[in-house]
Parts: sequence; structure tokens; C-alpha cells
Amino acid sequence: MEKGQKLKGAEKKFSYWLVAAAAMHAIVIFVAIYLQILDARRVVKPKIVSVSLVSLPGSGGSPKFSEKQGDNEATPAPSRVTPNPPPSAKVKKTLPESALVTPTKVTKPVKAKKKVPEVASVTTKKVVIEPLPPKPKPKVIDKPADISKALERLKQNVDKKTAATPPPSASSLNNALAQLQQKVKSEGSPNTAGARTGRESASTGQSGAGKGYGVGGSSAPYKAEIASIIMQNWEFSKLLLKNSYGMEVYVRINILANGTINQIKFDKRAPSEYLNNSVKKALEKSSPLPVLPKEEGTKDVWIGFVFTPQGIEKQ
Amino acid sequence: MVDSKLGIFGLLSDAGPIVLFVLSVLLSFSIVSWAIIAFKFDYIRKSLSESRAFLDFFFEMYNVDKAFSASEKFRKGSLPRVFRSGYIEYRAVGDKADIRQLRVRIARAVKREANAESKRLSSLVPFLATVGNTAPFIGLFGTVWGIMTSFHNIGTTQSASLAAVAPGISEALIATAAGLAAAIPAVMAYNYFTHQISIIERDLEEFTPEFVAAFIKEP
Repeated sequence: MEKGQKLKGAEKKFSYWLVAAAAMHAIVIFVAIYLQILDARRVVKPKIVSVSLVSLPGSGGSPKFSEKQGDNEATPAPSRVTPNPPPSAKVKKTLPESALVTPTKVTKPVKAKKKVPEVASVTTKKVVIEPLPPKPKPKVIDKPADISKALERLKQNVDKKTAATPPPSASSLNNALAQLQQKVKSEGSPNTAGARTGRESASTGQSGAGKGYGVGGSSAPYKAEIASIIMQNWEFSKLLLKNSYGMEVYVRINILANGTINQIKFDKRAPSEYLNNSVKKALEKSSPLPVLPKEEGTKDVWIGFVFTPQGIEKQ
Repeated sequence: MVDSKLGIFGLLSDAGPIVLFVLSVLLSFSIVSWAIIAFKFDYIRKSLSESRAFLDFFFEMYNVDKAFSASEKFRKGSLPRVFRSGYIEYRAVGDKADIRQLRVRIARAVKREANAESKRLSSLVPFLATVGNTAPFIGLFGTVWGIMTSFHNIGTTQSASLAAVAPGISEALIATAAGLAAAIPAVMAYNYFTHQISIIERDLEEFTPEFVAAFIKEP
């Protein structure tokens, strides 16, 4: 009798613990679900960096070129080559750090401004170079008076350069706007739209970029011709792209005098490999291109194009 | 059932019946094993503490009547229970002059109660061992079944992309995780309880002759 009561008591107690364990499991599961709901509801706001992809034709400081530089492309644009190099070229040629920088870059006001801190950081070296031009390797001189003189001289040089070029902000912006307006007007005729845009004229110099031969804007008809050839060879359907956001391929081709495409450089690839490959195939298929015109020079030429799902634009 | 964003619980909404069955078995195993853990922990802890307290009383008094009255306070201890059964047998024997007969009867009663107490202590504990041994395998079975199903689905959809393979495998692995979650506490509790029960059984073996001797020495 007593044992039976004991057993009943033990069973009762065990069933109590059973219910408690079930409740504990239910609580744990609901807490886990609740935490996951909370985690799912938490919206992580990504940092939005707005980047203007519209290049200003007049300014020359196209974002494409800056990207190109970011990709370890050391090839300078030919449009930056001026027939008369500025006097500061002497100084830069002797500097080992600035060996890759062509002297003509200084002619661009924006670039010149960028160069100032760099030059200032190596003032001790540059100061010595100018008074002693024949020495190949500059020596560091600790005289503070020389440094201040050199700084002043550099400032004067920079001022001269900036004064020689038109004021960057107002004039270049106005030029850019004017050229954009021209572009909009000229877009009425589809055949010549791509060839005569302000963007094109602005970057024709850039497109001739490679080695500074001074190829100017006279290559527009030739470019229009090769653009049409590449367009014909370009097998691409924009329907196959899920979205067209950021689908731009910036590519430069090196054309030899006989019209052969010597080198293809992708300055910016599109997120879609399909687009990238189609561009590469089109360029490979287009080679050889027509022979370079005489005004393009006897050597090779770099020409840039922007491939978008809508078509080809010349850089 | 649950929104697909809800991680593992979202995955379960797409799980097959076998995986769900395995998971429900493991959940019930876990619930029962936790109930046993709680129940046994309480039982063994009280048994140990009350046995120690009774032994202090017993050695202080060394009088069976007083010890019996003191043992009424420790109804959950194993040693007081055994002592009480011996005392009841002692009182039941009419002819106390026959010491040999008295000793045999008390020893038998004490031994019987010690065995019963040992059984009571170790009851339900083997279930923890069962859960500890089988739950990982049950979980593994669910995982294997889930992976089989997901591979079958890959064959059906003819897509071996990560997006097609990963959810099925992830869903299947939940079963293994659930099996381990049920088994780990069960194994830990089983080892703890067997150790504690062995301590109590040792005490029972050690003090049973003491109890018998205490009754015999009684004038």
C-alpha cells in the first residue's frame, strides 16, 4: 500500500518534470524562432556611394581614364600630349619617381593641381636637380634656404602653368555643356551619332593615347569606320542580360599602321562575362581593320571604345 | 509554415516526412531525457544528502528506536529507508532470544530493501544511455535520408548548382544536429548519475552490516 503510494508519487513527480521539460523545449524553440525573426527583420543599410559616370567632354578628366589608371595602366593618353612641352618637363624628366609621368600631363589644370603635393613631398630632391641639371642622380641638400627657394620656384612654375591654361572650372564646364548640347543635337542622324559626339571629340586625344605621338581629333572618320566594322562583328543580345545596370565595357585597342589590332586592353569590365567575351570576340573578329590613315601617323594608335548593351561609343 | 528567411526553421517547412519524423522522435527523446535528468537529479541529490544526515544521527545515538524516529524525517534517503525496513523486521520478530534467526531475518529484510533502493535509484537512467547511444544514429539516418532526397531532386531538376544542392543538404544536416543536441546532455547526465548511484550503493553495502549489528546488540 505504502509502496504503491510511493510509486504513484514518483510517477506524478516524473510527469511534472516531463511537462516542465516539454515546456522548456517549447520555450527554447520559440526563442530561437523569435531571434531568427528579429535577425531577418534587421535591415542592414549598405553605404551608398553615388558616382557620376557622366564624363565631361571638355574637362578631359574622364572617369574612364581614372579607372584606367587604377588598373595599373601606365599608358598616358595621347590627347594629353602637347606639341610644345612646358619648361617644367626638364625637372620631371630627371626625377626617377616621375619617370612614368609624361610632361604634357601638367598642361591639364586638374592634373597639375594633383601633382603639387607629390612634388612638395619630394622637394629636397627636386630642389637640387634644377641648379645641377647634368647630374643624373640628385643629392639631398639639407639647406633650408635652398628648400624655401625651390618651393617658391615650384609655386611660380605651377602658377605659370595654371595661368597659361584657361580656368578649369568655368571654361571646361561650359565647353562640356556646349559639347553635350551639340551631341544631343547631332543624335538625330543615327549613322553619324556615334562618330561625332562631344564625348568622342573630347576623348579622341585620349584614344590616341598610348605613346604620345600627338594624334589629335582628325581620326574621327577613321574611328567611325572601325566602330561600324566592330559593330557589325559584335554578336550580342541584350535580352540575355538579367539587368543592364553597370553593363559597360571600356576597352582600348592598339592598332598597328597596317590595321592589325595589336593589343586589346580592358579598362573596365562589365559584371557580365557574356558581354565581356562578346566584346573580345568582336574585336578579334574585326582584325585586321582598315589601314591607318596618313594623318594618324606611321606607327600604332590606341583607340578606346565603350561597349554598352545599347551599342558602341567611342572614348 | 515558417517564412523561408527564418533559417533552419524555414528549411524545415520544406523537409520531407521522414526527416520530420526523425526530428520529432529526437525531440521527444530530448524532452523525456531532460525530464529524467531533472527527476533523477532531484531524487539522487536528496537521497545522498538525507543519507548523510541520517548517518550522523545514527552514529550519535546508536539506539535503534531513536534512530527509527529520526529516520522518519529522512523519508527520501536510501539509508534511512533500508534502516526502517530492518527495524520493521526487528519489531516483527516475536522471539528475540534466537539471535541467529533474528540476524538472518533482519539481514534478509535489509538486503531486500537495499536491492529495491538500488533499483529505484537506477530506474530510468538506462534510457539516458539509450538516448546517448542512439540519438546520433537516428539523426544520421535523417541526414542520410535528406541527402538522398536532395540528390534525387537534383536529378529531377537537372541542376547541380549550389543553390539547388545546398538547401537540401542543410536541411538534412539539421537532423544530425538535433541528434547530437539530444545525445550530448543525455550522455553527460548518464555518466554523472551512474557515478552518484555507485556512491549510494557503496554506502548501502557498507552500512547494511552496521544496521544489522545495531539491532542485534539491542538489549
